Amino acid sequence: MASIIDIKEECALHVRNFDFTYKGASAPSLKKITMPIAKNSITALIGPSGCGKTTLLRSFNRMHDLYPGNKYEGEILFDGRNILDPKEDLIHLRTRIGMIFQKPTAFPMSIYDNVAYGMRLQGIKNKTELNDRVEKALKDAAIWKEVSDRLKHDADGLSGGQQQRLCIARAIAVEPEVLLFDEPTSALDPISTQGIEKLIIELKDRVSIIIVTHNMQQAARVSDYTGFMYLGDLIELGYTEELFVTPKEKLTQEYITGKFG
Amino acid sequence: MTAVQKRIFINKLALIFSTLSAVIALAFLFWILGILVMKGVSALNWNIFIYEGAPPGYAESGLKHALVGQLILVGMATGVGVPLGILAGTYLSEYGKNSKLANTIRDISDIMMSAPSIVIGAFVYAVVVIPMGHFSAWAGAIALGIMMIPIILRTTDDMLQLVPGTLREAAFALGAPKYKVIMDVVYRGAKAGILTGVLLGVARVAGETAPLLFTSFNDNFFTTDLNQAMPSLTVTMFNYATSPYEDWQQLGWAAAFILSMFILGLNILGRLILLTRKKGK
Repeated sequence: MASIIDIKEECALHVRNFDFTYKGASAPSLKKITMPIAKNSITALIGPSGCGKTTLLRSFNRMHDLYPGNKYEGEILFDGRNILDPKEDLIHLRTRIGMIFQKPTAFPMSIYDNVAYGMRLQGIKNKTELNDRVEKALKDAAIWKEVSDRLKHDADGLSGGQQQRLCIARAIAVEPEVLLFDEPTSALDPISTQGIEKLIIELKDRVSIIIVTHNMQQAARVSDYTGFMYLGDLIELGYTEELFVTPKEKLTQEYITGKFG
Repeated sequence: MTAVQKRIFINKLALIFSTLSAVIALAFLFWILGILVMKGVSALNWNIFIYEGAPPGYAESGLKHALVGQLILVGMATGVGVPLGILAGTYLSEYGKNSKLANTIRDISDIMMSAPSIVIGAFVYAVVVIPMGHFSAWAGAIALGIMMIPIILRTTDDMLQLVPGTLREAAFALGAPKYKVIMDVVYRGAKAGILTGVLLGVARVAGETAPLLFTSFNDNFFTTDLNQAMPSLTVTMFNYATSPYEDWQQLGWAAAFILSMFILGLNILGRLILLTRKKGK
């Protein structure tokens, strides 16, 4: 039986009895997941490849809806509403729950336009407001100093780490309440990784963060809570320190000591 | 001879034969181009651009009518073919994806691309020229436009599919509706590729004669009336080159040269755009 701790903070998201089945699959990829996601904290999801951590992450902003035929069952509560409701306004949901991807996804436009993109989608046209918020987002993402003199340049010219910070700036510019990070540093060098990790920790004052990582050290460095997943089950959710030092489940113990995975 | 020596020998033999074949193939191309340039350049003069067609023997005869007619026909065909081709390609890549309908459209489009152009001319003759009762620039442009559609559709489809899926997902994740994702992110990512497809499509139909014979027909005089027969470089070239008059044949060479340079230019431009895009990455 899974060992899920009661969190002390308020919940940003609450997953209840959540099953997810990919199109054409005979068995669900996520099985009866129940987990709270603490507000203004960082929750890391770890586990071996194929355990369903990214699948779970992509359920929070209903990314799976881009590919028809996938099936959600159960509940994910956000602000008291079940976001798995077929009538949920996905465009609105995705402005409140942002996402950063594994590979940097700078759009083929200027640095400025990249950051302004989400705000423009929301109908913000006022030049001063756009300028201010672009600058603030870039500062918050710790990339302002590097790009302030070339905002009109193509974002393609930035390095991988810079592009990833640009994507974070773009995501926080629309002021989401939750940010989903899908292995955000797996394509980056150690120094860029360090920068992104520092940034993620700084962001938690303002947003609730869920991060999927294949790197256990990273989970231990940045997160407050860690969930260990295995074969579509959430095996254990606990305080990060406790989970890595005194795991309650045998499977967790075996995974973090490197017996499998 | 040892086994290794034998292999080296066969290797050399294969190299020699394939090089020889390439040289022979290219020799014909350069032969054609060489004669075209020689005869074409010597036939060029300012009168060509100033005067329209005239009966044989007149000094003041030129190709103005055919040049303008050609531009009008190709321009109108681009107006028909480009929007339809790009939108259809967008449907295939972004909406139809691998559905049965999308794949059927892809197959039909491939067949259309290799269909003899005269068949398309005959088709437009049946559905446009006969109901109208006479040849017209409209009919010619529609025939060329129809030929352009499968080329542009296929390149658009291919180029859009090259845009990484994660880029689309990133735009969706910011709360963009699908049409915004396509217009702002996917089209931008594939801009150079689509433009190249358009240029190659235009270049492809600009050299067509057969579909025009039945549709815009020809005219030896300058006209901009789209409801009437419209001269084109290709059909003019055909008529002049097959005529027994020396000066008309000269004009035919000039027309062939100008058209070839135009198409060559479009192709080179298309390649250059692709090249700079690759360098930019």
